Amino acid sequence: MSTDAMAGLPAQEDLALLGLLQLVSPALPIGAFAWSQGLESAFELGWVTQEQELGEWIDGVLEDGLGRCELPLLVRLQQAWAEGDAPALDEWDGWLKATRETAELSDEDARLGAALLRLLRSLELEPPVALMPQAPGYVTVFAWVAHQRGVPPRQTLIGFAWAWLENQLAVACKAMPLGHTAAQRLTEQLRPRVVEIVAQALERLDGELGPILPGLALASAQHETQYSRLFRS
Amino acid sequence: MLLTTPAAAKLYKADRNGVAWGQHTHLKVAEGATLEWLPQETLAFNGSRGEQTTTLELASSARCLGWEVLALGRPVGELPFVSGHLEQRFRLTRDGKPVWIERQSLDPMHPRFTGRWGQGGCSVQATLWAVGLEDEAAAIEALREALPASPRWAVTCREGVLLLRYLGHERNEAWTLCQQAWQLLRPLMTGLEAQVPRIWLT
Repeated sequence: MSTDAMAGLPAQEDLALLGLLQLVSPALPIGAFAWSQGLESAFELGWVTQEQELGEWIDGVLEDGLGRCELPLLVRLQQAWAEGDAPALDEWDGWLKATRETAELSDEDARLGAALLRLLRSLELEPPVALMPQAPGYVTVFAWVAHQRGVPPRQTLIGFAWAWLENQLAVACKAMPLGHTAAQRLTEQLRPRVVEIVAQALERLDGELGPILPGLALASAQHETQYSRLFRS
Repeated sequence: MLLTTPAAAKLYKADRNGVAWGQHTHLKVAEGATLEWLPQETLAFNGSRGEQTTTLELASSARCLGWEVLALGRPVGELPFVSGHLEQRFRLTRDGKPVWIERQSLDPMHPRFTGRWGQGGCSVQATLWAVGLEDEAAAIEALREALPASPRWAVTCREGVLLLRYLGHERNEAWTLCQQAWQLLRPLMTGLEAQVPRIWLT
């Protein structure tokens, strides 16, 4: 085997990893920083007032939200992109839209999806039109990029959860406000939980899917009439 | 058509063999038809285990307004809901396409039972839906104006489904809220005033 061929595989893995880092970076120009997913409302309602409560909220949403919805869906969607399975893409994209609890959560997924798609078009990386669901949501487009970059599914889920965690903590730093050192303390505490929830999500059966977030749903709908707000959800 | 139930559904502690109950409602609404599904509340007592599913199949021009009110434990004192497990699922399709899928999982052993992202320690919850309103934004405005503002309920609309959710501790508060919302939404949906079914008053 030539040295070039031996170098080939690790180079591909490294490129995939860099592709993932690019996708989950806060510098990705899709405006993710504008959305709090009900967290700003939880501050306003007095449900989350200090570091420990914030840690519990994020931990809970990670398990009962992402772990039962976005993460297991990423597995299915990335596989559907890989297999060129248009009906499956349509079905799971539609399922995600049907599980969005409120107008703002629905809007967030739609707008981030559209923004990511616009970015991909300008980079000539967009998915084939024949496969693409109508107005695909963020999770669906994210799964395409992961597939296109050759990111292994487990890492796709880790990356998605990480981007979400960082964004939630950034929201807390702006609106709670949470100190930046406290945010790093929570990251340290939640890092093993991300790994654990991703492992569970990889194993979830179709019948176990669906977020269980009644409090978050209530908070998010309350946010629609919140008088003073920094975030769009 | 309006469907209701004569009394609250009561769910008692599972027997020694742990046999769970199931309550499955499957409603189909045809083109141009309107269905109101307004059952009295479900009372789940300590130790009850089971699953409640509501499946709604709507034709594209069908209209539907409904609710489910679920109260845990005994209304006055005695045993709170400290053991048991309830699953509640909603699935609404329009023209065969799912537009609203939601679930609740009530398990006193899980952190979400008291966690704010979850049930927040609440013993009463209600979910009201309305599909087929001409002007959803106006309906939401009217509800926000007419119903007393509170952190325990909120209304939203997504994918053409208006959803009003309540999380609190008072069965009567949840029931009154749902009834008021129905009285306000019914004329907007059907052009007809709401008349309280006599069976609720007995």
